[in-house]
Amino acid sequence: MILATNLCFRTIPTTCTTIKQQKDPPHQLNPVIPTKTKACECFDLHKELIPYEKAWSWQKQIVKQKKSLLQEHEDCPDTLIVLQHNPVYTMGTGSSENYLNFDVKEAPFDVYRTERGGEVTYHGPGQLVMYPIINLRNHKMDLHWYLRTLEEVLIRVLSSTFSIKASRIEGLTGVWVGNQKLAAIGIRVTKWITYHGLALNVTTDLTPFSWIVPCGLRHRQVGSIKGLLQEFQSSTQYAEAIKPFPDDYQLIDISYKSLIKEFSEVFNLEIHQKAITVPEF
Amino acid sequence: MALRMWASSTANALKISCSSKPNVSLAFSLSRCFSTVLDGLKYANSHEWVKHEGPVATIGITDHAQDHLGEVVFVELPEPGGSVSQGKGFGAVESVKATSDVNSPISGEVVEVNSKLSATPGLINSSPYEDGWMIKVKPSSPSELESLMGPKEYTKFCEEEDASH
Repeated sequence: MILATNLCFRTIPTTCTTIKQQKDPPHQLNPVIPTKTKACECFDLHKELIPYEKAWSWQKQIVKQKKSLLQEHEDCPDTLIVLQHNPVYTMGTGSSENYLNFDVKEAPFDVYRTERGGEVTYHGPGQLVMYPIINLRNHKMDLHWYLRTLEEVLIRVLSSTFSIKASRIEGLTGVWVGNQKLAAIGIRVTKWITYHGLALNVTTDLTPFSWIVPCGLRHRQVGSIKGLLQEFQSSTQYAEAIKPFPDDYQLIDISYKSLIKEFSEVFNLEIHQKAITVPEF
Repeated sequence: MALRMWASSTANALKISCSSKPNVSLAFSLSRCFSTVLDGLKYANSHEWVKHEGPVATIGITDHAQDHLGEVVFVELPEPGGSVSQGKGFGAVESVKATSDVNSPISGEVVEVNSKLSATPGLINSSPYEDGWMIKVKPSSPSELESLMGPKEYTKFCEEEDASH
């Protein structure tokens, strides 16, 4: 059973605050000693399709800025970018081309070899990509903690907003519902500043995942929030069904709001939205 | 110079080391819960070590660092003939979907890189000070070594860093 049995809503809310599910207790999360909430600037591009290369060089620019601030012993606030990408494949530092089911010279989409950890993955429309560019000195200088905490954010989003009971699989970074991976994580750290981040399948067309071995895992599947909700819908009585079933736009919007809320709570950061327009790319 | 090894740590190292390897048997966990710091080496505050022997200095990451990283699955190294600068990144190590920079504790010319790390990156975990060495450098400013920490200072630095987070 993929959904919590005590499903207590009939309609998906347009904001995530109206649903108060009993939250799962934090999984393997060492409590962080609460400190004063710090500010985190957020660039909201969740409705936009941003070319991978542009977002990648933007991240590196931000990291460079933060490193200079650190060098001058200045305060280094955290940054969050949320966006969608045009279809693209990305590979990590140690990635193998064996996990591409096509010749890289004749790839269906652009393939970028990046400096993040992890194997090949796909990014595309309907998938929310979040790039936290944060100074782990403001949090916990522990990469394992950081990865587990990103997973915690995602698990809470799925639980609190969609009643989807997701979990970790030990040794397989990411967020899973059964054998389906709903969210992938791959990061880079330099002088304790993180970049790259996570990708959550909301309404993603999952077909491009079949042209690779996602994250190098041959016997696992990839899933999406929409896919799971549709499965629930088709297996349930009309009276219990989600009505009206939200459209893709609504699902993305609700997921984005939930991601920001949970990220803010789990990382103890106050989110400050910063204006940015797509032409700046 | 004779090498002396001593265990560095405290309950903090115990907590961090054990939590990153949850399925390991108790006996193994206990022995791995103390980071080793070697005598005769110099240490950077980004957890790299340097062994200066004559014209060449060998560089790698410390036991403390590899323990915090977890299983290293990939190592990125520069080409021989390239140069490194003190405090700047020269390579990277990947573990558990996170790739981190490795910074050079000194400046100089890279004369050799450890080619074994491409097939067996885990040498960094099993032998961080010996078989897991990363690069050999001809130092361009030997006085830079003076600015690095000795074993006792580094041990204290690790304890303070772990305690504050």
